[in-house]
Amino acid sequence: MARRKKPRHVVEPTTGGYVLHLDAEEIDLVVRLLGELRSLLLSDDPAHHDLLRRLFPPAYHLADDAEAEAEYQRLMREDLVASRLEGIAMVETSLRAGAVLDDAAVQGFMQSLNGVRLVLGTLLDVSEQHDPSRVRDDDPMVGEHQLYAFLSYLLEATVFAITEL
Amino acid sequence: MAAPLAAGAAGQNVTVPPVTAPTRVDQPDVDETTSLDRPWIVLVWNDPINLMSYVTMVLQKVFGYSLEKATALMLDVHHKGRAVVSSGTREKAEIDVFRLHEHGLWATMQQDD
Repeated sequence: MARRKKPRHVVEPTTGGYVLHLDAEEIDLVVRLLGELRSLLLSDDPAHHDLLRRLFPPAYHLADDAEAEAEYQRLMREDLVASRLEGIAMVETSLRAGAVLDDAAVQGFMQSLNGVRLVLGTLLDVSEQHDPSRVRDDDPMVGEHQLYAFLSYLLEATVFAITEL
Repeated sequence: MAAPLAAGAAGQNVTVPPVTAPTRVDQPDVDETTSLDRPWIVLVWNDPINLMSYVTMVLQKVFGYSLEKATALMLDVHHKGRAVVSSGTREKAEIDVFRLHEHGLWATMQQDD
């Protein structure tokens, strides 16, 4: 599914915004994944927090700064969640209106695609050598690996599209 | 390559020494002065999930860096495991880290030594 089109063609910069050349099934998939990311962000389940750990990295990483770190997490986590929810909502609105993203929505699109990738990458324990094409068909997570590859492709295509302008 | 967290495992308990009344010090506290003057640096760490193209784009967007500068920093992160992407006051560093976290980059801050 993922490598069918050249990355540059799937997201097209036009004067009216960025047009996503995705079929209805792919749009539905993106919308569903955004919804799942929102549910995770709003969840109180500690198991979900673990999946989200790449979305909330430590700011003060030195042991000496542990107090500042606790303060950062206490004050900023909520803002980080709010920023991500805002990005998701913006993308959903644009996709509902017809798969054209304006400048703000395209930023939210990249932030959200990458957010889902961070969750999936954590779930799959992706390493530097990760190669989705090498995942065996009988791997129990083969669907998640394909999803990860699709999102990587879509994100890269979007980055290319916005830097082309 | 994945975890740059070795230095300060999050959630670790830290023992804070009891606060004692200050005693008179005749000489200025040099350490205190220099530690206040030292700038904070913001680091981005290599990670296996973030795409190289995306990291470059985020560095351009957050800091207004040229494509050349952002690419060089991204390659530093990729090859050396981390790179200093900005520096300044603690407040500025915290804002920079927050904006990088908003984009999902693995950014941390520390006082320069």
